Amino acid sequence: MLQVYIKEMLELTRDKKTLIFTILLPTLIMPVILGGFFTLSLKIAKKANEEVLDFAIIGSQNYAQVESELLREPEGDEDPLNFNLITLEPGADVDELINTNKIRFALVIPDGASQAMENGETLEIDFKYNDSATTSGLMFKRVNDALEDLKTIELVKRYAKLGLTEEQGEALGKPLKLVQKSTANERESFGEKFGAFLPYILILVGLSGAMYPAIDLGVGEKDRGTLETLLLTPVSRFSLVLAKFLVIFTTSFLAIFLSLLSFAIMTLMFGPYFSSMMGPESSANATSVLQALTNISVVDILLMFSMLVPIAAIFASLLLSVSIYARTFKEAQNYMSPIMFLVFLPLILALLPGVKLDWVWASVPITNVALAIKEIFKGTIDMGMLAVIFLSTTIIAGVLLALCNWWFQREQVLFRN
Amino acid sequence: MLEVKNLKKRFRLDNKTIKENKKKPKASLDVREDGHWFNAVQDVSFQCDSGEVLGLLGPNGAGKTTSLRMLSTALQPTQGQIVINGDDVVAEPLAMRKRIGFLSGTTSLYHRLTVRENVQYFGRLHGMDEAALEKETQAVFDLLDIHSFADKKADSLSTGMKQRANIARTVIHKPEVIVLDEPTTGLDVISAKTIMDFIDSYRGGKVPIIFSTHHLHEVEKLCDRVVLINDGITQFSGTLDEFKAQSPDGNLYDVFVSLVGDKEVA
Repeated sequence: MLQVYIKEMLELTRDKKTLIFTILLPTLIMPVILGGFFTLSLKIAKKANEEVLDFAIIGSQNYAQVESELLREPEGDEDPLNFNLITLEPGADVDELINTNKIRFALVIPDGASQAMENGETLEIDFKYNDSATTSGLMFKRVNDALEDLKTIELVKRYAKLGLTEEQGEALGKPLKLVQKSTANERESFGEKFGAFLPYILILVGLSGAMYPAIDLGVGEKDRGTLETLLLTPVSRFSLVLAKFLVIFTTSFLAIFLSLLSFAIMTLMFGPYFSSMMGPESSANATSVLQALTNISVVDILLMFSMLVPIAAIFASLLLSVSIYARTFKEAQNYMSPIMFLVFLPLILALLPGVKLDWVWASVPITNVALAIKEIFKGTIDMGMLAVIFLSTTIIAGVLLALCNWWFQREQVLFRN
Repeated sequence: MLEVKNLKKRFRLDNKTIKENKKKPKASLDVREDGHWFNAVQDVSFQCDSGEVLGLLGPNGAGKTTSLRMLSTALQPTQGQIVINGDDVVAEPLAMRKRIGFLSGTTSLYHRLTVRENVQYFGRLHGMDEAALEKETQAVFDLLDIHSFADKKADSLSTGMKQRANIARTVIHKPEVIVLDEPTTGLDVISAKTIMDFIDSYRGGKVPIIFSTHHLHEVEKLCDRVVLINDGITQFSGTLDEFKAQSPDGNLYDVFVSLVGDKEVA
């Protein structure tokens, strides 16, 4: 069996496709793609925040403070607002100007706006924009934030009319305020928000790491005409299955391990760079998250791996069974799509809001592992539940391996061609 | 010596075929189909002494490959006996594999391994120790003139080189019986000659060689004995001369056609 294992590993290391899917994809390509996507998102958001926005005001004279507020010069170290007022020709079609990107938005201030403000009414100003632009949400936020000071000034005026201080005025509209005081630490909070994505990535990396070697070691041998020769050696078929299973398991687990290692290194190396790009407030949050991540101990990482070991074993036995059954390379590839779906579905379940690790979810394969990894990440795992999940997942992997072995003993499967 | 006695192998038909067969009149079904089963080999018997070359003939689908797969232990016979030098192959398939060498036109090498790695891998799987393996590798590589490409990867070799490497892989563990299933099918003249020369080199030695072929000139050139299988049954078993004697002018083609009838001849 060892001879078969060594030979299969030697062959796989000489195969470019295996190296790409098992080594390069999880260690370099995936983190680079995700890092690149993250950097690009931040750059797009930054650009959208700093971009000079051409705008128009219809009925500016009805309440001139809006225009002067949007065009005011920055004070101290305040960033410039970057709004550029465009004067409209009489009878200009505002909607057309927005849709053709001549202006980005327009504010429509109704007649009698100043009077409404004086009367203490709510002044409704229409914000006209094109919702199909991806950064339109950010644009609305910029305008809304720029008018915050004006809103505060008007509020203070109204409080004064009522003979109230600013604090009293604020309290007037909020007789009851619910203040959130989370008992969760930074690690728990971060784990709850992002912990579900980690198993999602790791499990899929494990699947992709197993897929190509499984095809190569099963139907690939049939295709090349080497399987029959191998079957005629004095090595039991169980030993052959076990050796092939171990090779696929190794590549799957190696892909997971390298992926996790690569993410850890990338986070430590480039985390500060990303947090510096996120602005002062977000940067502080990111720093505290990075500190929280350092609280993840070696034991936690080993526990995560203990969940991923039987998962890699499940993939190895399942994919090898399918690969041995298939007549051709193409047929095997056709079987891979439903298997991908079978793995995706329980992973998506684990991402749904409200889905938490309890005894019901602990009985759903793959979902339970994804949820358990999330809990380990948060530092709130129930060790009893973890043990049950490990045991049940290992049993499933064992049953699938036994099935694979039974499959490999059948002449109808081996000689389907 | 190799003895094959009353070999039988049946396969279960797939559900689609069973369903289709139910709709067909019984007379139109293959004579070997029996309810849910297909009797690929119904009764095959022959024997081959040490140093003899036995040619296995028969039309396509006659049961040659199934018979040889049973001989090589890839398939388990439904019934019958295969004996190599007094030992039962069917009873102890795993142990007997060390004593059988198998090669077919479709068996291949691991293309990402070198010839030496391929050959020695199979030697190790057959339980050879490193010293014996090294010695035997040298001997086989000398015999087949492989040294010049021994360390080249299999996928970079010409068809002829691959065939020589395949032969080396087949005999590295010094088998007591060599089984060849249509070894020259699809090969060019030079590659086929390599196989023919290899078979010829074993004549008169200690190892019986059984090979199936559609090429009657190969039978004429190499075989001491001939077995003809038709519809899974041994239709003829005897020496080459006895086979030739079935036709007035000793033409193998005429004998083959007269025995097989108007079935397809490949």
